Amino acid sequence: MYSTKSPSLRINSGDLKCRNGCGFYGNTQFDGFCSKCFRERQQGLERQRKQRVVASSSTKIDPHFPRQKTSSHHSARAATQQHTFPPSPSRHKPHSPQRGDQQERGTLKKNAILSVFQKTSTQKNVGKPERPYVPDRTEMEFITGLKKLLISDDAKKKLKSDIQRLDATIRDYLANHRSIDDLSECVQNAYTRLSEVLGRDPRFQTASPEAREECMNFFEKVVMTRNHSYLFSPCFTNDEEQDSKIQKRIRQLGWITVKHLSCGIDEVHSASRELVYTAITELVAMDSFYSPQEKLECIVRCCRHIFTLLKHAVGGPASADEFLPALIFVVLKANPIRLHSNINFVTRFSNASRLMSGEGGYCFTNLCCAITFIENLTAVSLSMPADEFEALMKGEKVYTSAWESALLACEGLHLISENMKKMDALKRKNENVLKGIECFKEDLKQLQAEITQKIDETLIRAPLTILPIKTPEFLRTRAQSLILSDAAVAEQRRNSGHFQSNIVTSLSIDRSDEGKALAKDSTLPIPIIPAVVGTTKPTDRDKPLVDTKPEPVKEALSTPTQSPAGRMSASSSADLLYSSPIFNYSPFDTNSLGDAATPEDFLSGQMPDFTGGITNINYDFDLSDHSGDNSVAEDTNITTGFNLEEFDPLIQKPSSSYLSSTESGPDDPDRIGAVECEKPKSLIESDSPSEILLPSPIKPTSATNYKGFSNFEIPSISCNTGDFSSLNSCEMATECLEGSEGVADKK
Amino acid sequence: MSLVSANGFNFKVVLLGEGCVGKTSIVLRYVEDKFNPKHFTTLQASFVTKKLTFNGQRVHLNIWDTAGQERFHALGPIYYRGSDGAILVYDITDEDSFQKVKNWVKELKKMLGSDIVIAIVGNKTDLEKDRHVPADEAESYSQSVGAKHFETSAKMNEGIEELFLELSTMMITNHDVKESRSNSLNRSNSIRRSNALMVDDAEDTPAEENATSTRCCGAG
Repeated sequence: MYSTKSPSLRINSGDLKCRNGCGFYGNTQFDGFCSKCFRERQQGLERQRKQRVVASSSTKIDPHFPRQKTSSHHSARAATQQHTFPPSPSRHKPHSPQRGDQQERGTLKKNAILSVFQKTSTQKNVGKPERPYVPDRTEMEFITGLKKLLISDDAKKKLKSDIQRLDATIRDYLANHRSIDDLSECVQNAYTRLSEVLGRDPRFQTASPEAREECMNFFEKVVMTRNHSYLFSPCFTNDEEQDSKIQKRIRQLGWITVKHLSCGIDEVHSASRELVYTAITELVAMDSFYSPQEKLECIVRCCRHIFTLLKHAVGGPASADEFLPALIFVVLKANPIRLHSNINFVTRFSNASRLMSGEGGYCFTNLCCAITFIENLTAVSLSMPADEFEALMKGEKVYTSAWESALLACEGLHLISENMKKMDALKRKNENVLKGIECFKEDLKQLQAEITQKIDETLIRAPLTILPIKTPEFLRTRAQSLILSDAAVAEQRRNSGHFQSNIVTSLSIDRSDEGKALAKDSTLPIPIIPAVVGTTKPTDRDKPLVDTKPEPVKEALSTPTQSPAGRMSASSSADLLYSSPIFNYSPFDTNSLGDAATPEDFLSGQMPDFTGGITNINYDFDLSDHSGDNSVAEDTNITTGFNLEEFDPLIQKPSSSYLSSTESGPDDPDRIGAVECEKPKSLIESDSPSEILLPSPIKPTSATNYKGFSNFEIPSISCNTGDFSSLNSCEMATECLEGSEGVADKK
Repeated sequence: MSLVSANGFNFKVVLLGEGCVGKTSIVLRYVEDKFNPKHFTTLQASFVTKKLTFNGQRVHLNIWDTAGQERFHALGPIYYRGSDGAILVYDITDEDSFQKVKNWVKELKKMLGSDIVIAIVGNKTDLEKDRHVPADEAESYSQSVGAKHFETSAKMNEGIEELFLELSTMMITNHDVKESRSNSLNRSNSIRRSNALMVDDAEDTPAEENATSTRCCGAG
């Protein structure tokens, strides 16, 4: 093998392998096969030889076994196929003559068998070469076909004679008569006779039913093919007229769409359009065949395409309800030439039983129906207005069908469908957005509900109304008494009538001034400090004042007996002192002049108390005054701080001057009026002595005015309430008294 | 036009009736024994064949479905020309469809006379509650025109098999009567009495294939 190859060629490992492709290496001795494949092949050839013997014995039954041209040609072709069979023909090597001979004989045998079995299939091809209609060739094909029929020689002879007789009858008839119907009947009779012969004649008894049917078909086909030119659309019929008529009619009806016929063809879908085109092609091809059977086959193929088409459209097997409109549509779009001639030809000269049964018959019947429908088409059958139908038929109106659009404006349709898809997408997006909006709304509602709930909870947890605490009269009087007693004590201690009166007046003023004071955060209720101390430790109130740091000084200055005495005197003088501011006495003067206290007493009581008072004030001041203005938690301190502040002599100065101004009340009405306006009610209601001091013009102010002003002071109130809500102590209670008073006033 | 050959009887049966009465459903139920159109293997339901064997006699039924739409009514004669049997289907819930059946009967009697065996079928008995065509009325009418009345439900598969078997028997009888009166009467009677009807489906497939291959040869 290597030697035979030219040195320039490389040999692949594949070249050395078995020609059968089994993967083993081949050997030149075994024709390039591996030993195993070679043996199998030899065995196969042996088997073929044996079969040849059987076949030859069986073919002897067939009367026309020595096969003529076609079969021999076929065998030759098969033989070449056999030669090209091995996987790598290029490497086909000349082998020993003996073996080659053997192989050739094998293929011949094989082909002999093949040709026996392929008889019917070869006959199938008979019709095709007939088409050019060369008489000699047709004759030849006829003989070939006849010889291939699986019937006895006698039967063939009978068949041939029948064919010739019918041939002659037809030509004879055409020469003398001019009635196509009679001719048709004559041909049909011939068919019937033949079918009877096939069923009863002993010569055909050996043949199978299929072979008999084959004979019937052969007979029909041969006669019709031979006489096609005479029988198809004969000049003495009006077939041609009808052809042109229907053609014109279909052209007129070119505007009809699937919608008019209400059939389920999707014109735009490419696959279904393809099927429509195929169906149309088959229908048009009908004219190019000679025999009725072939024409019927065309119709059947056309219908099958329509059924496939409808199966896609309907989603199940198509019924006649869907099929007939679709077929009508296809016929309209196909507009096959010589339609009537073809239909008539098949109707007249096809075997009638074929048209009455079988798929071909059904399809043909439907085609006839379609044509009839088209011919008798009216506006009613398309369920459209008659005038519109007329206009369309006359071509006055142009109907732009989807079909034409699909053909002409495919681009546009495509664009439309694309746009529709986009629109769908947009629609979906829009829906999503709307859904999102809805969700958002829901969320908002939920949030609102949550917030409301939280607020409600908070309100429940910390309600605005802690009003039960306000026991105004009781607390006020208590606070008042405490303040006064305190003030009296302080007065008694200090012997400073002026200072004491300051406190009292400032108290009253502060209380009247409360609204403003609260808003400014500068002067929170005075009474708180005394109230706080008073409520918690009313008795201890004196003690710290007396017993604080100054005590040692006091003790150093005065005798132990002096202090009780001073106290006694202070308590007694407290009434005097208390009444003094009311009656506009100068406290200092009263103290100094009216009091029965001795100068020693005065000195001993005043001096240490003064110092003690100052220290006390300072101490308290340091504790609280600077604490936060806004902090809720420190509000208590604020109040104490403010109260203490009042005791501060430094601050007392302006308040004293203010007092003097108030004392001169009528002289300065504007100022007091302003104060009055700020907090009229508290002033009116208050038991403070300053009430008397205040001028009468304050009272007459109408309630509406107050309200108008009070409205502005809501923030201050809220501030107050906040203080109250956060505190529960007794100090709070006093403060509350003031605050709630303010609130109540406003209300 | 029944073709009697060694193969047995070859009958053409047309299905007539208004649209939507269930013609197709009946056929499909009979041929494929299915109702839901999604499950059918056949390409189409308008032309189906069924082979039966009656007492050794082979009967080949060609069942032709027709378009039921009113506008195709005029095409009826093309369909039923040469048929041996007609199945006129109406919807028992639809009075109009029964009227259509009456029209068809008149037409068939006029055009084909006694050549055709008529079966009047009230379909959709599963919708008994909506019945608008009384069974006895349909029955009496059928008797008056010499037709056989059936009630079926393609959905529930009721009465379909009986309908076609009975129709086949009637067509054989009718055919025999036409062929030769004396002989066939006895024979048909015997056939009628024997309930040993059996559906021979096993033979269908090879025979069908043969038939198509034959046609293919013809097409060449």
